[in-house]
Amino acid sequence: MAAKGARAIAAKVLNTLQSGTSGSLGNLLDDYRDREDFSLIQELCFGTCRWFPALEFLLHKLLSKPLKAKDGDVRWLLLVGLYQLRELSIADYAAINESVEASRSLKKPWAAALVNAVLRNYLRRKDDLENELLSGGSAARHAHPQWLVDAIEKQYGYIAPDIFAGNNVRPPMTLRVNLNKCSREEYQEKLAEIGLLASAGQCADTALILNEPCHVDELFGFRDGWVSVQDEASQLVPSLLELKPGQRVVDACAAPGGKTAAILEREPELASVVAIDSSARRLSRVTENLTRLDMAVSSPDASSIRSDATVRLVAAKAEELDAWWDGAPIDRLLLDAPCSATGVIRRHPDIKVLRTPEDVAHCCESQATLLQSLWPCLAEGGLLLYTTCSVLAEENQNTLENFLNSTYNAKCVRIVADWGVECVAADGRSLGRQLLPTDAKGPDGFFFALLRKITSASKSE
Amino acid sequence: MALRPILEFPDPRLRTVAKPVTAFDAELKTLTEDMIETMYEAEGIGLAASQIDVHKRVLVIDVSEEKDSPQVFINPTFDILDQETQDYDEGCLSVPGFYETVSRPRRVLIKAQNVEGDAFEIDADGILAICIQHEIDHLDGKLFVDYISKLKRDRIRSKLEKAHRKSA
Repeated sequence: MAAKGARAIAAKVLNTLQSGTSGSLGNLLDDYRDREDFSLIQELCFGTCRWFPALEFLLHKLLSKPLKAKDGDVRWLLLVGLYQLRELSIADYAAINESVEASRSLKKPWAAALVNAVLRNYLRRKDDLENELLSGGSAARHAHPQWLVDAIEKQYGYIAPDIFAGNNVRPPMTLRVNLNKCSREEYQEKLAEIGLLASAGQCADTALILNEPCHVDELFGFRDGWVSVQDEASQLVPSLLELKPGQRVVDACAAPGGKTAAILEREPELASVVAIDSSARRLSRVTENLTRLDMAVSSPDASSIRSDATVRLVAAKAEELDAWWDGAPIDRLLLDAPCSATGVIRRHPDIKVLRTPEDVAHCCESQATLLQSLWPCLAEGGLLLYTTCSVLAEENQNTLENFLNSTYNAKCVRIVADWGVECVAADGRSLGRQLLPTDAKGPDGFFFALLRKITSASKSE
Repeated sequence: MALRPILEFPDPRLRTVAKPVTAFDAELKTLTEDMIETMYEAEGIGLAASQIDVHKRVLVIDVSEEKDSPQVFINPTFDILDQETQDYDEGCLSVPGFYETVSRPRRVLIKAQNVEGDAFEIDADGILAICIQHEIDHLDGKLFVDYISKLKRDRIRSKLEKAHRKSA
């Protein structure tokens, strides 16, 4: 039997990704997880996306005439080849031979000579081409799509290059220690005993950052809920919500359930938690995650109703209240809104290939709708935490400001913290706090705004 | 050790049903060593004796990434452990350059003998489960192109025949 090589698979996956109908890179890669060479396939796909705008610039210089639209797979094979030559420690001849071979298994044997010529040409002209890249346009230089370069430069000015650089590194693997099992320091020692080194997070008191990523099964007690994998930014959510026993909590866009779990770990004595997500398929990940942490879940399909269930999962659009709300006021509401994910590009580099400015506009509409629809469920004095993994003002402080201006009983509570930067309106009001993904071992880009529902009486104070 | 030429589709000799091995001797050992060398040279992950025109029930497989773990299967059979199937883009050293999606049972129990004649079993899933089924097909005179449409099979046949004429 002959197996299709990793390069051919990477080219095929990336070409399907760009066609845009089949979801994220992570979903597309699921088909290949059983393969021995899965880690190489994953590295080729993630790395090629991470440098996509720069690789495209180089390829454009190397091709005498553009490839036909139907040869998208050959184009991606060339980009994957360039990525290997630039960034990986694979021997040059091996990277080229394997790429040439891959053109045959893509059923494009005519492309073998082209692949060979382009990749060898790159090696020959490497210094000149890389210099041209540095003096080329900002999209290629920063390896970000032009619209995003423009948006980030406009909003962040001199910090923008740090954001681009932060998006181009491999993300840290960050753990959330379950403090009900042991302290962060105790868990850090348990990891050290099995040879895994980690340092304490800079913002969240539950966070440990591994020096090197590892498989979750290597983590002490992972299956028994001692620890979860979660970025430090998300771990900040429970402490901001001021959780207390007996509260009714809703997580409005819950999947895959990391924040729902973090909330329950922080305060196991909540009266109830409703975890809502529009996708039933993604909700099954919430069940998995919560079950591993031994949290009582009742699933949406009623297959496992537990009388002691604290968490109720609902597959519904959160803005359609009839589908999940019993009418009793909610004390704490987490709205981790759908967004452009421009703060987590280092974890999802396929964003550089897929995301468009139209997507951002679409997200802004959803965010405004969700805020307006969910607000009536909140109890007077209750808190709504609005979060996104975006760094763009229109999805964060602008969405917030619009909502505050049109909602008489909403007040933004200033978040006092030693992390991130405060977003401030022209009149000096706080509009939340922004984390930027500029530190390779630090948190993702993330936005937090805490809203309190005030009574008409306290409005006049 | 020696490299042996690999028969290519549509060579009729690939349709021969192989006979069980009864003599676990030096000749068998040499055959398996040659097959492993031939498989590595052709960058395959599995090779059936049928493919080098030896019609005995002998397979070699190496699905490791480092290509350092060859396995020998004499008189192999398998039981299906999971009726659920998985799709895989299969290719074949006897059908060079072509890859087509084939569905096969996801998990199988492999029963075989080693080169000394000792029986062993492997509970296999993933690529090993696919590969063993593909290779046992060879011993029964079957090829992966038998699972795809006649239209596609005929196209592959004519392309390979054309390539064979060119190199002849």
